[in-house]
Amino acid sequence: MRSDNRSARVQVLVAEQAARHGGRVGVADVCTAAVAALPVGGAGLSAMSRPTKAKAAASHPLCSTDDISEQLEELQLTLGEGPCVDAFLHGSAVLTPDLRSGRLQDHWAVFADAALEAGARAVFALPLQIGAISPGVLDLYADVPTVLDPDQLADALAFADLATLLLLDARIDASAPPVNTPAAERDFEDLGGYRAEIDQATGILTVQLGTGIDEAFVRLRAHAYMRGRRLADVAADVVAHRLCFAPDLTRNDDPTRNDDHDQPDDHDQPDDHDQT
Amino acid sequence: MMNQQLLAKTFVELADNLVADFDLIDFLRLLTDRCVGMLGASAAGLLLADRDGELRVMAASDERVRLLELFQLQSDEGPCLECYRTGTPVLVTDLTREVERWPRFATAAHRSGFASVQALPMRLRDEVVGALNLFRAEPGPFDPAGTLIAQALADVATISLLQQRTTHRSTILNEQLQAALNSRILIEQAKGKLAERRGVDMEQAFTALRGYARSHNRRLSDVARAFIDDSEPLPGLAV
Repeated sequence: MRSDNRSARVQVLVAEQAARHGGRVGVADVCTAAVAALPVGGAGLSAMSRPTKAKAAASHPLCSTDDISEQLEELQLTLGEGPCVDAFLHGSAVLTPDLRSGRLQDHWAVFADAALEAGARAVFALPLQIGAISPGVLDLYADVPTVLDPDQLADALAFADLATLLLLDARIDASAPPVNTPAAERDFEDLGGYRAEIDQATGILTVQLGTGIDEAFVRLRAHAYMRGRRLADVAADVVAHRLCFAPDLTRNDDPTRNDDHDQPDDHDQPDDHDQT
Repeated sequence: MMNQQLLAKTFVELADNLVADFDLIDFLRLLTDRCVGMLGASAAGLLLADRDGELRVMAASDERVRLLELFQLQSDEGPCLECYRTGTPVLVTDLTREVERWPRFATAAHRSGFASVQALPMRLRDEVVGALNLFRAEPGPFDPAGTLIAQALADVATISLLQQRTTHRSTILNEQLQAALNSRILIEQAKGKLAERRGVDMEQAFTALRGYARSHNRRLSDVARAFIDDSEPLPGLAV
């Protein structure tokens, strides 16, 4: 494939931000790197979730690079309207070059005025998503009318993709013993050619584990990290049923426990494990 | 031999899909299926460039051709890549003669049972956004009339991207392609879940999801999301 890999470049920019504060790479680093790389004044990121049978929709701000970004995040979550809310609901980027356009002021009657008051003029909301996995939204703002050109938009989307993986990986890091591979060296590039197997395996794990899609993806990646295997290879094993995961009945209190087991050539999947 | 009636029926079907609130992935799959049914191809695949200009398999008429397309991307050689990079059609009447040109691809294609291929560019003004690929089991020249129709189908696929763009109010092509890729991911996730739950293969799972979407007049990606999120009953699909 091509060598001018945008994702790799964006990963380096974000890793450089993390190196400045000497900590692990996190979503806050994505925000600061995006602000440095793009014609925007600030960035903020909110975790969001859809309502399910089990629980109501929830959202909370995770980080922001400045006061205006912080206000924009809180405004949208409080009002329940704005580019970030639309980006999350529709699963596509919402690009607002100028909030003072009349049409937008009608569309987000309260938000548009409040955002202008806060000092924002252009707002770009990029959903964090991998198919049905959508843990939040990355918001960028500028204090003057701004249009992102295709190259800048592609960069912004790459920042959002990295933020998605970091946000999901934070769940592995929170529940697992330290993983040998630093985040920066992990298999982020895997979301390429063999993507379909990874996505299919994620869907399969929702059934095997009886969990939601986010958790299934986190467990798939965690399995790959802990065994030092490529995500695509683990996914191919899951799709071919060479590897099965078992529901974690003890809740995830001891992730080192070997709760998934290899079953070479076992094609007889038990059909009676109906978890839903 | 081209069947005029089938041709007319196909374009009516494609146009019908485009004027409704259509699902891009579903539409592209329909298009590859019709290349097989109407143009005598053994299999067809459609690739689109993502925001980095890297090709992704967006639709394939069967699993065999999907894997071959993936192999082609991975080994970075083959007619579809050449077509995309040059923006011009690539016709290969006998793949066994192209072993020097594409050593890995020619071998893999032969192993998959394909002897000839034509790759047609999807062009949008001065930009090449992807390629449509028709594979045949037999070597030999391509019917020029069939090639014209195949190119028309590739153009219809390009138009469908634009159409999708206007219905989603997005003004930038790469953002639209990104959204299309995401709905592809969504559908793969749903296929995995349904296949595992029913103990069927991925192709059967796809057919069931698409059948449900069609019979309930819904977009495939909406059905896929509702199925994954368990947010609706979906009688007959979610048991």
